[in-house]
Amino acid sequence: MTDYKNLLTLLVRGGVQFVVVGGVAAVAHGSARTTEDLDVVYGRSSSNIKRLVEALSPTNPYLRGAPPGLPFKFDEKTVTNGLNFTLITNLGPLDLLGEITGGGSYEQLLPYSLKVVIFGIECHLLGLERLIQVKRAAGRPKDLESIAELEKIMERANPTK
Amino acid sequence: MKDKTIKIEPDPVIEVYKKDVDMTLIDENLKLSVEERLRKLFRMQELIEELRRATREATNDRL
Repeated sequence: MTDYKNLLTLLVRGGVQFVVVGGVAAVAHGSARTTEDLDVVYGRSSSNIKRLVEALSPTNPYLRGAPPGLPFKFDEKTVTNGLNFTLITNLGPLDLLGEITGGGSYEQLLPYSLKVVIFGIECHLLGLERLIQVKRAAGRPKDLESIAELEKIMERANPTK
Repeated sequence: MKDKTIKIEPDPVIEVYKKDVDMTLIDENLKLSVEERLRKLFRMQELIEELRRATREATNDRL
């Protein structure tokens, strides 16, 4: 089970620049679907990667689904040399995304995000329309029901669209 | 927040899927705050974990 509250708290208190995307963002917009991981798009600046590594290291991030014992070290070099990481942490599954299809980087997504206060912390959540665009661009069959639901939510909010 | 400038064009495949969306569940969620929606997700996750645990135990008991 993912401890979203503590994962988000670690990131925010660590000063990490990120936007929440994926299933958790969909739930925040009203989706009735469930999800089991937290997806965030993080800023790729060296200072942000440093903060990201410092914030998450106590949770022992490791490659999700990989056999134990691989020489994986969650440090600044690894994050800098990589881009997207599907991780398991002590607080649950976490997808760290440097870029997403159809949405791009943290800097490109930020103007399309909402600032929300949850559990007493302030974080950025991808806006509904952009979330729909990103899910459409990903082109995954498993997202079709989710996209349909998000578009219905959008129609509820803006009946003319 | 620039979301209002984004135009989502209808997609015929997604339009078909929309017919099966249960709006009663969504309308209930839209009455909640963002934090309440996330808390609801956590409770659902707890239920799922508990069901998985119980099912695992029941399955192991039969073996």
